[in-house]
This record gives sequence, structure tokens and C-alpha cells, in this order.
Amino acid sequence: PGIGIGPIIGETPTKVLCLTEMITSDELMDDGEYEEILEDMREEGGKFGALTNVIIPRPSKSGEQVAGVGKVFLEYSDSSSCASAKDALGGRKFAGNTVTAVYYAEDKFYNGDYGA
Amino acid sequence: QNNEEPKKRKSRWADDEPKPVFQLPDFMKDLAGGMDTDPEIQALNARLLEISRMLQSGMQLDNRPEGERSPSPEPVYDNIGIRINTREYRARERLNRERQEIISQIIKRNPNFKPPADYRPPKLQK
Repeated sequence: PGIGIGPIIGETPTKVLCLTEMITSDELMDDGEYEEILEDMREEGGKFGALTNVIIPRPSKSGEQVAGVGKVFLEYSDSSSCASAKDALGGRKFAGNTVTAVYYAEDKFYNGDYGA
Repeated sequence: QNNEEPKKRKSRWADDEPKPVFQLPDFMKDLAGGMDTDPEIQALNARLLEISRMLQSGMQLDNRPEGERSPSPEPVYDNIGIRINTREYRARERLNRERQEIISQIIKRNPNFKPPADYRPPKLQK
């Protein structure tokens, strides 16, 4: 632990991992790319434990701001799977971008708040 | 799934390369160089340390009793008539030469070795 990018002190593990700095909204606009990214996330994320949900917020067609665009949320059945995913995926490259992985507050995630 | 693309598409994830092995920063390597594991270098370093101590201590360098000394060379005097090549002077020169020789040997075995500032590489002989 602690190898990734400056973990916040006292960061509490959750079951939800938030990956950032990996995809652009242009990529998400494209249906084909979106599906592929989703598939890549399920496949890679599933290696660390039972993935219960993968959420990738997409920009709206009308152009209004959507919270959490560019982020990928991986929800695991338990926080230890989430922790190993965080260790492994944080710092890995995705489509050439170095991924940042942080825990995401479960209550916010369940409320559909992806903008934190 | 309507498109016929091959099932195994290349993932956007880069291969999981092993986390970089912890590497000593360069200045640490220099320090670690002093703790060489090669016994030959250890011996050379020990002798180097010993010679440096002797040269700095001001102790009598040639304390062999009279009968065990080799014959002295012709005396050499400076321009006010003081002998230059005293026994003490010659002993010091001998140690200095050995010291330079040891440093050369350490460098030969470990090119990263940082020689002391007063080390002069031996002149290449034809």
C-alpha cells in the first residue's frame, strides 16, 4: 500500500473504487468505445474479486454537464477485493493514461452522486 | 452482439507490469560502494584505510631496527643543504605509491569508485 499517488491520510477503505484520469468524454460519447471500455473494466476489475457493479458516467447528448464524466466506478462485494483492485489498478496505464485509483464513499455512490 | 469482431479484442489496460523494484538512489549507491562484498576489494579498502591513517598520524613510518634496513640511497640535498631523501621521507613516498597503486586497483575492479581528491591516475607507460 501507499505506492499509488499520494493516498490521503486516514483514507478509509470502501467497497467502491473510483478510477480517474483515464478516459475522455469524447471516447465516452462513442457507443462502440463506451461498450469496449465497459468490457475492459469488467474484465480487468473482475480479477480482484466479485464485481457487483461498474458505472461509467457518460456525457449527455445535449451537452449539459454530467457529474463524474471521466470517472469509472467499480463496486465490489467486499472492501478487501476493492483494496487489491486499488493497489493493482492505481498507477496502471489504460489506453496510455496512468490511472489514479481512490476509494469512493459508498453512501454517495448508492445515491447516484458521482461528482464527489 | 451484431458485429463480427474477433472475441479477443486487445484490452485498453496495459499489461500488469511488476511494480518497479526499489532502487537505491545514486548517492546511496556510492555509500553502498564502501560496503563492497568482493573480498579482494575489501582487502584493498582495508589497506587503503590503514595507509591513510599512517600517513596522517605523523607516527614514525619506518621503525625497522638498524640491522634490518636496506642500504640507503645516495643522499639528495635541497638548495640550502638539507637532505631531502631522509628515511622518513622515503618511507612516506613508499606508502604514497602503494596508496595510489591500491586506488588504481580498486578503480579497475569498481569503476564507480570515487577516488580521493589527491589521487593522480598513473601515467600511461609506453
